[in-house]
Amino acid sequence: MTTTATVTQESGDARRASMSVTDEARELAGSHILCEALVREGVELLYGYPGGAIMPFYDALPAYPQLHHVLVRHEQAAAHAADGYARATGKVGVCVATSGPGATNLVTGLATAYMDSTPVVAITGQVGRPFIGRDAFQETDVLGLTLPITKHNFLVKRVEELADVVHEAFQLARSGRPGPVLIDVPKDVQFAKTLYRPAASVRSIELYRAMRVPQPEPEAIQQAARLIAQARRPVIMSGHGVILSNAYAELRALAEKTNIPVITTLLGLSAFPVDHPLFLGMPGMHGPAFVNRAIGVTDLIIGVGLRFDDRVTGKVSEFAPKAQIIHIDIDPSELNKVKPAAVPILADAKTALAALVEAVEPGDHHEWLRELRQWEAEEQERSRRLRRPVPYPTPTDILDAIYEVTDGEATVVSDVGQHQMWTARFYKWTHPNSHITSGGLGTMGFALPAAMGVKMGRPEATVWVVAGDGGIQMNIQELATIRDEGVEIKVAIMNNGYLGMVRQWQEFFHQRNYSETPISSPDYVKLAEAYGLTGMRVERREDVRDAVRKAMQTPGTVIIDFAIEAEANVYPMVPPGAAITDMIIEHE
Amino acid sequence: MTEQAIASARAGQADAPQGCARLYTLVLLVADRQGAIDRVVNVLRRRRANMRTLVVSPSEEAGMARVTVVVDDAEVGAEHLCEQLRKIVDVRQVLCFPAGQAIERELALVKVNCTAANRSEIIELGQHFGAQAIDLAPETLTLQVTGKGEQVERLLERLQPYGIRELARSGCLAIARDE
Repeated sequence: MTTTATVTQESGDARRASMSVTDEARELAGSHILCEALVREGVELLYGYPGGAIMPFYDALPAYPQLHHVLVRHEQAAAHAADGYARATGKVGVCVATSGPGATNLVTGLATAYMDSTPVVAITGQVGRPFIGRDAFQETDVLGLTLPITKHNFLVKRVEELADVVHEAFQLARSGRPGPVLIDVPKDVQFAKTLYRPAASVRSIELYRAMRVPQPEPEAIQQAARLIAQARRPVIMSGHGVILSNAYAELRALAEKTNIPVITTLLGLSAFPVDHPLFLGMPGMHGPAFVNRAIGVTDLIIGVGLRFDDRVTGKVSEFAPKAQIIHIDIDPSELNKVKPAAVPILADAKTALAALVEAVEPGDHHEWLRELRQWEAEEQERSRRLRRPVPYPTPTDILDAIYEVTDGEATVVSDVGQHQMWTARFYKWTHPNSHITSGGLGTMGFALPAAMGVKMGRPEATVWVVAGDGGIQMNIQELATIRDEGVEIKVAIMNNGYLGMVRQWQEFFHQRNYSETPISSPDYVKLAEAYGLTGMRVERREDVRDAVRKAMQTPGTVIIDFAIEAEANVYPMVPPGAAITDMIIEHE
Repeated sequence: MTEQAIASARAGQADAPQGCARLYTLVLLVADRQGAIDRVVNVLRRRRANMRTLVVSPSEEAGMARVTVVVDDAEVGAEHLCEQLRKIVDVRQVLCFPAGQAIERELALVKVNCTAANRSEIIELGQHFGAQAIDLAPETLTLQVTGKGEQVERLLERLQPYGIRELARSGCLAIARDE
């Protein structure tokens, strides 16, 4: 065995020396063409897991040291890590899996990226062409499986088209409204050789509609500016599109010039600083009551890069009943989908906002703002009255400690559930794109692998994961990957011994029938140690800050298991299907 | 129900109110590539369009297929559906016609029971509808009819008493009317 390994190593090194990316046309196998094309797309990181049908690619990979491959412990994590990398950097994240179970394991991650519009390219091995359709070992219809959860997908039938397909996939993933694209490469196509001409390999792609970036119509901008000038109680609602198009400065300029307050959706959080005098908060199911109240009375919504998701609108017919809507989106199918827009603007958020900033007159809404702040103060006063002295760490303690100890510099990746809503609500988002979470699909198990991608995309950043005791166990195996890669992530588990959000719904809507929501955890301290990492357990409120500080001082990845109140709830809450102005608030 | 009420009730994925569903004919130009038709059908299913007929055939351009699909949906639903279809990478063009606005034709082959006694009666009946007898057998007769959907329906109604053994309909084909 040892001998074989040595020989392989040597031949690998020999190949590495002989291989470099040049512009010369030469005969190459599909597996090498795939690598060449990835290098040409500027890919530096891939998350993947080898297997039978993708072996030729893995055989070629060592010849391209520019491509750093991260061996995950489950393909789902590869997709989430690529997604996290894409969200953090704006570049296309790449994940790789083999056919059959490898590919099906990617599905949840691709669906997550699709719902949240993040650019990911997934490469899957497929059984050889002669075996396709014959129910071969590890064959699955990946194209069919991923059809509704990718922007586009390809089955590469000829090695001659492989390079073109890769470049098209990257263009598609990052253009327009970004999204995941999958390339399925049969094993024999990876082996097959052809003359590879790098310079010729960007096919003159007929421009897909999906790739065109629409310019805002000047007339629509003028019309929007007129509505803005007439509005008495306007709000800006900013979504993920603002982050995807890097339109922070434009958003801020519009808000400041017009003095219109800003509401950000869950995925829009961190696009606008929380401490800005014009910031209001998150709308919808778990937004503060005063924000939903504002939507109830507003006469104009300037919606930018959001899709009026049901968690935002509640009962659609009662959402913003008095408002006209200016809706800016890059995807024409989002305009008028949920709420008819008085002024639909088909454009990239950045361009449209810049045009709008030019077109609008300076505005003054101090009466409206005073009213809003009054509502906010009343709500906060009420929460203060309800605050009880508790011995255990509270979600706000934990979030405040992370914020303060990191001087607000951290990127926070949350999982899905109660802690996600607490994080969204109570963390003081000050830096653009510092909040990363699975919004649309609500994928438990997202945070840990995604955070790995975030940290590898932003090596300088401090990255914190906030997760529940349910979600963290869904991709806990990635601690091994994190350790192997020497990735430094700090993990805060808000551990209440329950699948908390489901338990909360059971409490509110199912007469406290806690069916299958109590959940046990391993000893996270020992678990961390078993993975060669550091673990801590915090049970007392007064220890929170010290633990966070210690985690920051300890090199490497640290997990803190915070024992929080078992039955803490996320307040306020809009019951599903209700109007957002009809919220459940905490009992006095 | 007013147009406005229909629009707001149907906006998004809400259920169409009773009685407001209308027929639309969608004409798509789709690149003839792997999975392209799957994608179209998948979007129709995913966006809950009820397909009445679906025809896939070559178009005037090499490498492009023409897909003609008749769906019943309220107006906002149909528009939204078209936008979703336009997002498919393989789809180059989507035209949406409310029923009757485009030139629409359908072809049907009908195998009807017949006897020596009523054979010429059936053939004559068919001729009223522009149908031709294209196959004769001792016990059956096959008619070919081309026309608007209603026309085909009317002929079928009239043939029903003789007993229709088999029916093959092409589904609606449509082409835009020039001004």
